[in-house]
Amino acid sequence: MGRFIWHDWARFVAISASVYLIWAAIWGILYRKFFFDFIDHTYTSGTPPLPAKCPVQAILEFIVRVPVVQVVAMIMGFVTLAFEYPAPFLKGTFMQRNFTFKTVFLVFQAMTSVLFYQGTNAFLWSLIAAVGYTRAVMLGEVMSLEESQDKITTAWAGAALTAQP
Amino acid sequence: MKISVWNVIHQEFHNRRRAIFNVLWYGLQLGLFVYGWWSQATNQRLAPLNTLRFSVWSSRGAGLVLALDGGMILLPMLRNIIRVLRPKLAFLMPMDENVWFHRQVAYSMAFWTMVHTTAHYVNFFNVERTQLRPQLALQIHYEQAGGITGHFMLLCMILMYSTAHHKIRTQCFEAFWYTHHLAFFFIVALYTHATGCFVRDSAKPDYTSFFPYYSTDHCLGYESWRFIIWPGILYFGERVYREIRGRQPTTLERVLVHPSGAMEFRIQKPSFKYMAGQWLFIQIPDVSAFQWHPFTITSAPEDPYVSIHIRQVGDWTQAVGERVGAGPSVMASLTKTAMAGIEKVNDDLGRGDFVEVNSSNWGTLPLVRIDGPYGGPTEDVFNVEVAVLIGAGIGVTPFASILKHIWYRQRKGNLGSLRRVEFIWIVRDAPSFGWFQSLLSEVEAAQTDPNFLRMSVYLTSKLDESTLWNIAVNDPGADFDPMTLLRSRTLYGRPDWKSIYSHLRTAIELEQYLPGRESSLKTSVGTFFCGPSSLAKIVRRQALATTTETIEFTFAKEHF
Repeated sequence: MGRFIWHDWARFVAISASVYLIWAAIWGILYRKFFFDFIDHTYTSGTPPLPAKCPVQAILEFIVRVPVVQVVAMIMGFVTLAFEYPAPFLKGTFMQRNFTFKTVFLVFQAMTSVLFYQGTNAFLWSLIAAVGYTRAVMLGEVMSLEESQDKITTAWAGAALTAQP
Repeated sequence: MKISVWNVIHQEFHNRRRAIFNVLWYGLQLGLFVYGWWSQATNQRLAPLNTLRFSVWSSRGAGLVLALDGGMILLPMLRNIIRVLRPKLAFLMPMDENVWFHRQVAYSMAFWTMVHTTAHYVNFFNVERTQLRPQLALQIHYEQAGGITGHFMLLCMILMYSTAHHKIRTQCFEAFWYTHHLAFFFIVALYTHATGCFVRDSAKPDYTSFFPYYSTDHCLGYESWRFIIWPGILYFGERVYREIRGRQPTTLERVLVHPSGAMEFRIQKPSFKYMAGQWLFIQIPDVSAFQWHPFTITSAPEDPYVSIHIRQVGDWTQAVGERVGAGPSVMASLTKTAMAGIEKVNDDLGRGDFVEVNSSNWGTLPLVRIDGPYGGPTEDVFNVEVAVLIGAGIGVTPFASILKHIWYRQRKGNLGSLRRVEFIWIVRDAPSFGWFQSLLSEVEAAQTDPNFLRMSVYLTSKLDESTLWNIAVNDPGADFDPMTLLRSRTLYGRPDWKSIYSHLRTAIELEQYLPGRESSLKTSVGTFFCGPSSLAKIVRRQALATTTETIEFTFAKEHF
């Protein structure tokens, strides 16, 4: 039948990943835990006490003591939502239309997500979306200006323009 | 249309059936959630787990609802069972809406997954923090059956949901079709989700060496897999049955190429029984060994063959065209001839005849398999006195079969209560449906009672100047309409549904339309619609609004 348009699919995955991430970050602030603390079995909130020379002490400060990572991740989730949905003021801008930018941003979002306990699935999904956009770049897909203006209703405007081999 | 709370409430509850469905379906889920919560919270044997408080109660409640959803999600996909049950349960529920229900289950599933997963993230966090069990949170997440299958199901869900989106599905059906087969692994993960024995009253999981590999003495889950495995088994059986049925002897007898660019496949399959208005899946192993493509059956059950009409619009259909020796280039030249035919003065019926693809020139015809039939038969047209058949765009295809079938039954004098048929066809460019036009003109020419069948064709595309001249020159005084070559005149623009229905009502009331109508009895006017759902809503509203005390208007949307 038709042609699979990678950036259209990646957009849905990116939106899902970001909604998940925002939700996960809320819970990450309530229940703070560094994802990689299993490496040296340093338990949450320092119970049982952390070893004196915890190699990741600094990152624990920013996840367990002050939930900076969670807040940053949440903001990134909102930013992704803003350029993916898209928010009216981002319609037609490079943030919405440039897939390379989106790929890079999603990879950063994934890297931030993976740091805290609740963010693992958001990490995975953001990476999947980034893979989708990478594929879109590889195939030379572009989002036309018309498509970007009416992202929610037109399913075919972009298809017609990008389906040229 | 803006989505407001009021609109949603109105839409969900204004219709009694819809309201009952909502109350039952969401009530059942909420009830199960409450029961799951309560049975966990009050279970003395699970007292240690209950120290986790709200998170464990909500995870258990949501888990029970998810078990229900996991059982329900496959039920609307049991296509063959639905086809058998449909007429028996028509009074109870609209079983044509099976895919709609499948989606509702999926939406519910997404919501309860959110609740369940969130709660478990809190559960395992607190298990680790309080050392309720001597484990790390991530060990429960990624080393135990529950965690592994759960995360795996989440992965399957993001892939399945995202590719099932309307936009992706219409762009590339295969992406949706293949990805949706992750459902097999998803469902296996669902059935084994509780085998890790997370809900237990013992310190260690109570595993056994025999099926189901854990002991229910200490593993106190809901054992829901014992109930929800049955739809899974039924579905698996159905797929096996479809595979066997698809392999029954089938021969592609003839391939006819219609000048308008459609290929007609005439297929012989003695074991294939169907009714008008149904559809089938076709597979052509030479083109693709796995893909099954849905097509509307265009022959009537009385015809000695099963036919479908294929237009070469996508990868697969073009590949099929190439395989039978009627590839896009052949079609293009034929279509050009057909288009040129419009310019000609109507000498005879039709736009030139179809061309048969000669098998000796093009090698043997490919092997085909067909699976079906599916969908609701339109036998209901014989239960109403006036049938209004509305086909919009490509949605006109089921009416080929239905009109032929009506014609066959008319010949046999076996029309049931059907007295008149109004056929309304809304189309953007009629020439691309040339094969349908020739069929219509055959049916039209065969009419003996001039009042039985009335056709109205609405052409919605803009007309260019030469076409306008063609109409101006050829229309007045001609026997046939210049655009469609039918006796019925083409109407230009979009139909005004309100006036169509009110005229129909007035005509019936004045007793011109159905002579001898008993005004004391109810006259039923059934609308049978096939086309885009946005238009369906408009037509449905107008049709239902026209109902009076003595004339009942009904509406049915065909699915294909």
